[in-house]
Amino acid sequence: MTAKAETQAIHQQYDLPYPPAKVWRALTDPELLGQWLMSTDMQAAVGNSFTFRMEPSQWWDGIVHCEVLELEREKRLSYTWRSGPESSPLDTVVTWTLTPTGQGTRLTLEHTGFVPKNKFAFQGAEQGWQRNVGERLRQVLAAA
Amino acid sequence: MRRDDAVFRALGDPSRRAIFERLGRGEAAVKDLTARFDISQPAVSQHLATLRKAGLVTERRDGRLVYYRIDPKGLRPLIDWLTHYQAFWPERIDRLHALLKEMDE
Repeated sequence: MTAKAETQAIHQQYDLPYPPAKVWRALTDPELLGQWLMSTDMQAAVGNSFTFRMEPSQWWDGIVHCEVLELEREKRLSYTWRSGPESSPLDTVVTWTLTPTGQGTRLTLEHTGFVPKNKFAFQGAEQGWQRNVGERLRQVLAAA
Repeated sequence: MRRDDAVFRALGDPSRRAIFERLGRGEAAVKDLTARFDISQPAVSQHLATLRKAGLVTERRDGRLVYYRIDPKGLRPLIDWLTHYQAFWPERIDRLHALLKEMDE
């Protein structure tokens, strides 16, 4: 079992009746981002660090630490998405892909690197332990 | 300490993880765990107390013996991120839709 195979991802696709240039603005303009995603000091350039902030909840302090990994104007934007307790942070990557369509833009969201890689890769974790927890997880999910 | 922090710290220790794994296969008393892991009884009790405080383990008293078992609800913080974002993104994209409608070209 490789770490990669253990990670989970969110993959969602949306068809928007607006041109890529407009969608791109909503993805990169801090003021617009604040209106639909979270308040942010993003400056969209590769290597830039920024944060997203929202109300703290039971599970986290509401701060997401990001760094721009890839940027291809009006086509692709990728950044790290880190948050959570210091002892075991959520360390994931969010990637937006914009594809022009006849009617507007196909917007693809990929959010990769979820549990169990970052939450379950405790040092020295044995496969047996992981299997066991996997079973427990299924039970928890079934009950949730 | 925040609850999720407590869970990660509790399971960050190899001995506690081993005890937790063992309890995942069925409830056990301190003496069963002491025999299995070659750890002193006070140390096992200490580990169990940490797991219990983190909400990962519950105890059941039967006469003079106390039996411990996993509380699946305690694992909730470990899976919460994925479930959180599975709900989070569609909700935010709805807001993006609404914003795009209002935006100038």
